[in-house]
Amino acid sequence: MQPLEFYRTLQIDKSPINAHSFNPYYRPLPGLDRGQLRIEGETYYDLASNDYLGLASDERIREAMISALREYGSSMCGTPIATGYARILAQLERELARFVGLDAALVFPSCYQANVALFPAIATVRDVIIVDHHAHASLAQGIKAVGCKVKPFLHNDLEHLERQLAASAAFRQSFVVTESVFSTEGSVAPLDGLVELCRRYQAVPVVDDSHGLGVLGKSGRGILEEKAISDYQGIYTASLGKALAQVGGMIAGNHALIDALRYSCPGLIYSTALPPVCGGGLLRAIDILKQEYGRLATVLWNNHRRLLDKLRSRGFDLRSGPAPIAAIHGGSPEHTIALAKDFFQQRLLTTSFVPPSVPQGRGVLRLIVGAKLDGAAMQDVLEALDRITVGPRP
Amino acid sequence: MNLEEKVLAIFQANTEDKTGVTLTSDLRRELRLDSFGILMIINAIEDAFGIAVEDVDFTGANTVADVVALLHSKYHCH
Repeated sequence: MQPLEFYRTLQIDKSPINAHSFNPYYRPLPGLDRGQLRIEGETYYDLASNDYLGLASDERIREAMISALREYGSSMCGTPIATGYARILAQLERELARFVGLDAALVFPSCYQANVALFPAIATVRDVIIVDHHAHASLAQGIKAVGCKVKPFLHNDLEHLERQLAASAAFRQSFVVTESVFSTEGSVAPLDGLVELCRRYQAVPVVDDSHGLGVLGKSGRGILEEKAISDYQGIYTASLGKALAQVGGMIAGNHALIDALRYSCPGLIYSTALPPVCGGGLLRAIDILKQEYGRLATVLWNNHRRLLDKLRSRGFDLRSGPAPIAAIHGGSPEHTIALAKDFFQQRLLTTSFVPPSVPQGRGVLRLIVGAKLDGAAMQDVLEALDRITVGPRP
Repeated sequence: MNLEEKVLAIFQANTEDKTGVTLTSDLRRELRLDSFGILMIINAIEDAFGIAVEDVDFTGANTVADVVALLHSKYHCH
């Protein structure tokens, strides 16, 4: 194949975007300020980001980052195993492990990288990985990279999972992989039941708590606290770029796992470490959660309930789960983009999911209001929703 | 249970949307099976018939009936 012909094979179908002259993706944005941002002189409201607790514009975190920047500079310019392991990152790993209730943790430049790097580092071709059908792309990519038997199970279906486990005795080791919160629609995994099944079948559970850390549990410590899972002997991963309002990812577990990954996980040891400045922000975010999670969670859930009530009263096709995520089924990808445009014209930023993020022919518009909006801003959002026409979406 | 019934039962037990699976159902457009969805069906077929299915065979299968035909012609399932 000629190179130009090859590049033509990479072409993306942008017809849903072109049909409405509206592209919700890769929009260059100004900074977020308590859920608000200024675009061409107008105030827009952020219902798109994962800033669940409104910490992205918290002045205390900003100051902590400036302080870390002054102490460590812009980067340690090295991998964690060489010069990249700043003292503040070592401290962060200890704090993160303690916060989620596990023995030890590692910090990665992103959770996507952590998930992709994890499975090839721990699993072999003699193993089986049983994975929730709706697991995040990063988990799927990491799992496929192992080259072992992969058995998807029906979304959050423990009976179907058990059938897969029961038929997997011949493998050296079974892993069961899920997310805590499935971020498209906010469904929450029955992790307590899943962990119990893993105990029964001697499988290792792996949970990605990216949308649960800082959101679920009575003190925001995530899915393990939410489901009252003690003595978790599995593997835990999470993004640090959502409720904790930073960047990076983590893997946590027992000392044997973390020590092995620390010296043998290529995705960690050959990648430049997270900048120390992020460690400063994350340590401060954890402090704030320890002290203020109750207040922040009250605002978050109140805002979320008001948003759901309004969307329901307006007749939107709402399919939200128990997590603070509102998912509107937009019908076809084209109609979903049109709906996103309607929201944008009312100065509301949303997240549009079209295939392959959702099944073929479908689309979901996701709204996360979080704790970032104050009462007046929330009122503006609810009034804006009244101005959006709710039409049939085939 | 004949082969068609066995395959229909496998699809019904291994898809999130359990209603409306027929022999003419399109795997991707109607049943909305993605790569993991197809893999779930392949694994269930392998367990049910005791065979090893090559994933690539499914790329040419568009409907449930195509899967039945594939299992009959290539894997001699009954």
